[in-house]
Amino acid sequence: MPDHFLGVENVKVSFGKGEAQVRALRDVSLFFERGTLSLVMGPSGSGKTTLLSMLGCLLCPDEGEVFVDGQAVNKLSEGERATIRQKKVSFVFQAFRLFHSLSAIDNVGLGFEIREPQETRRMELAEELLVQFGLGEKLKHEPKELSPGEKQRVAIARALAGNPPIILADEPTASLDAEAGKNICELLRKQVDRGGRTVVVVSHDSRWKKFADHVITLSDGQVERKGKKS
Amino acid sequence: MKLAWQNIIHDRLRFSVTVLGVCFAVFLMIFQGSLLVGFLRAASRLIDASDADIWITARGVQAFEFGTILESRTREMAAGVPGVKETGRVCMAFAVYRTPNGKQQVVALVGADPNVGKHFPVPDAPGAAREISPDAVLYDVSDREQIEVTTLPAEVEVNNRRASIERQIEGFGAFLGVPFLFTSYRNAARYIGFGSDEAMYIPVRVGSGYLVSEVQENLQQRLPEVDVLTREEFAHRSRMYWTVKTGAGGAIVTAAVLGFLIGLVVVSQTIYASTMENIEEYATLKALGASQGFVVRVVLMQALICGVAGSMLGLVAVAPGLSYAKTLIPWIYTPWWLPLGMSVPSLLMCSLAAIVSVRSALTVEPGKVFRA
Repeated sequence: MPDHFLGVENVKVSFGKGEAQVRALRDVSLFFERGTLSLVMGPSGSGKTTLLSMLGCLLCPDEGEVFVDGQAVNKLSEGERATIRQKKVSFVFQAFRLFHSLSAIDNVGLGFEIREPQETRRMELAEELLVQFGLGEKLKHEPKELSPGEKQRVAIARALAGNPPIILADEPTASLDAEAGKNICELLRKQVDRGGRTVVVVSHDSRWKKFADHVITLSDGQVERKGKKS
Repeated sequence: MKLAWQNIIHDRLRFSVTVLGVCFAVFLMIFQGSLLVGFLRAASRLIDASDADIWITARGVQAFEFGTILESRTREMAAGVPGVKETGRVCMAFAVYRTPNGKQQVVALVGADPNVGKHFPVPDAPGAAREISPDAVLYDVSDREQIEVTTLPAEVEVNNRRASIERQIEGFGAFLGVPFLFTSYRNAARYIGFGSDEAMYIPVRVGSGYLVSEVQENLQQRLPEVDVLTREEFAHRSRMYWTVKTGAGGAIVTAAVLGFLIGLVVVSQTIYASTMENIEEYATLKALGASQGFVVRVVLMQALICGVAGSMLGLVAVAPGLSYAKTLIPWIYTPWWLPLGMSVPSLLMCSLAAIVSVRSALTVEPGKVFRA
């Protein structure tokens, strides 16, 4: 009996209609253990991002169930799914997705504003996070003034605002050089080891293998291989 | 809502264009509003200046400027109605005026008895300056160039009769395009050729203890061949004639509405462009779990910031504009509540302008965030 903390069960997802229809996921069942870092790999078009979108309540499957923090979410309304995203799930993106007009600290502060609107110390908490991530000198810098590695660290700090139990990362090291990529791997690993969070990373980057507890390989919309790191 | 503010100041050029658009709209709305209020005020200025509770006019008179002669017994009959404390006489006619330099032009000559009201411009009104003669002629300061009087008193001619201009007044400037001249009823009747018992209007004062409406009704029963109107009714009729029947009010209101629409288009274009440029950031907001209300507030706040900034700039710009306009259009008038009142349509305009942008921001698919 799998732990239904985070995962999908018998999900099918397709895009388009008729001859142009693409079956992104074909009857996939996959669960992620609480407090682990799972790496989802696979070639382009294998369904990795579709899987991540469903786990993040951004996409509903055509068939099957999606579980987030033990709750079936695919029948929820858009407003209810937004609340799940607000309270339970956080994202780290390949393209960072920082707000271009806001400084580093304001980007993280915005994360708090969305997730914990009642929190009055949001700027202090944002500063604490950025200092922890080695960005204490760049609090007031806008995204255009930061290196790609620094941007991703700001994005991770924003993802941690409000202390969500689940972090979903889509190719978080794809735009980074080797050193910055390694830093990000370590940072997300720490969220599992010290923060007890559940992290799912979708990546082509094989460096992640040594930081992951589980490695899942998708191919053509199906789970090809699922293994626990020895 | 720092995001809304930062989005705006981050693109200063777009912000400036938006603010200028709102500023232009606010300027135009206040300017046109001042024209309309001033026009309405000027259209009934002389009626409002009287102390009379009731005005008796010939049947069907639409505005003060177009009165006709009442039968001579009308005033006597009115005076006999219970509740009528006092009656007076007012006349207005176009006359030929010859300037001290010999140039001729048409003027609107108004004559009134001294009891018409202490604010009514007549030389022999109670409390008027003693140094001028009861038959003096008065003119408004804004008509000085047309009257061509450089020193007072000045000897001129009205309908080929000698007249003495002895004082200038304020607030009763040309409204018809020809200057007003004011004098006593007796004097005006002489220039126009009226008999001493004839009048165009009979202002009536109601005695204490009587209801104006009751006296009005009694007067109308006693004088069925004339119109008996309260001062407010006659003023309203006069204002409606000039604004509605001549189409002048429509033209002014149309210009104000155009100002509103121009502002609406400018703000909606720039807010929409800004929203579409940052549409992926709205998708990110949604992916981060922002509620619909949060997203709406970000877009709306940007529009309202532009609205407030543009309105303030518009208010600053309109003050000298109106000052200058007053030298050309003496009856233009800006009541204190007009600039404040215009902030409501300008903020409404910005909110309306944000609707399309709000819709785009709300419907953006949050899954967009995964596309690099």
